[in-house]
Amino acid sequence: MTDVPDTLVLKRHRDLEGIGNNGILVRRGVVAAIAALAVLGLLNVFGQRPVTARVSVPAATFSVYAPTAVRGGDFMEARFHITAKQELRKAQVLLDPGWAEGMSLNTVEPTPLGQASDDGRLSFDLGHIPKGKSFILFLQFQVNPTNLAWRRPQDVDLVDGGRVLAHVHRTITVYP
Amino acid sequence: MDLVARAVFVFAFMLLLTRVIGKRELGSLQPFDLILLIVLGDALQQGLTQDDYSLTGAVLVVGTIAVLQILVSWLSYRFPRTRPIFEGEPLIIVEDGKPIERNLKRERLTVEEIAEAARLEQIAHLADVQWAILETSGQISFIPKK
Repeated sequence: MTDVPDTLVLKRHRDLEGIGNNGILVRRGVVAAIAALAVLGLLNVFGQRPVTARVSVPAATFSVYAPTAVRGGDFMEARFHITAKQELRKAQVLLDPGWAEGMSLNTVEPTPLGQASDDGRLSFDLGHIPKGKSFILFLQFQVNPTNLAWRRPQDVDLVDGGRVLAHVHRTITVYP
Repeated sequence: MDLVARAVFVFAFMLLLTRVIGKRELGSLQPFDLILLIVLGDALQQGLTQDDYSLTGAVLVVGTIAVLQILVSWLSYRFPRTRPIFEGEPLIIVEDGKPIERNLKRERLTVEEIAEAARLEQIAHLADVQWAILETSGQISFIPKK
């Protein structure tokens, strides 16, 4: 029999004894896991495609269009669309602090009449919205790279003259 | 702290990736593989340092990766049982001029690829090869018949 090169063992390195199919199975498992991650990415699990949450009440229709999952460094937009079915004299949008936590708020369009804190929530005064008219408020954010969150509350209230007209419950997950 | 954690994660992920990609893919850098490598590096860098342009950040990331690389190298030296995990094992793919089909299939290698590698070593016929070994680096080494 011909000399086998040094440090090689025929049973192991040719016949794969002791290696068997385990290595292949592990390799396939890891590849499958990586492929599954890519599929989850396609399915918007890791963001940042926006989704709409809509509430309709006798006074107005209120919808929030924003991503529920984002990643560190992402730019994102939130759109708050109010259609008044009745006249709204002092419309306000109240946001949970989760909207600003670990986020840079780059733009608010149009500029609200006033901004304040309402018991820890972010308050934007929109003013008068006549019956049948719409008001769209845009907020543009960038997610801070160190921000991490799992289902952080981002509830939104539509308020008129201190009375809550509509409540939208939503959360945001921030992936690293 | 974030940067170091990111560097550890990226290092572990890259180690895992290089182990599952297969030896041959790593050993044979075709033009497309080279481009892929550059794209990969760019994608990783963004996840690693993001908007951190600081010298401190660069030192932290490079330092962490260097320490991890030394650690892996030390582990595989000090504990030989971990070597197959970190580096893989050589695989005999030709014996006495005959390709070993089972082992070729395992590494997704074709006889044509072995013949090409043999030609690069001035070996015209696989029949002249006593042993061909797919090394852990992905290179194929040939030992001709005497």
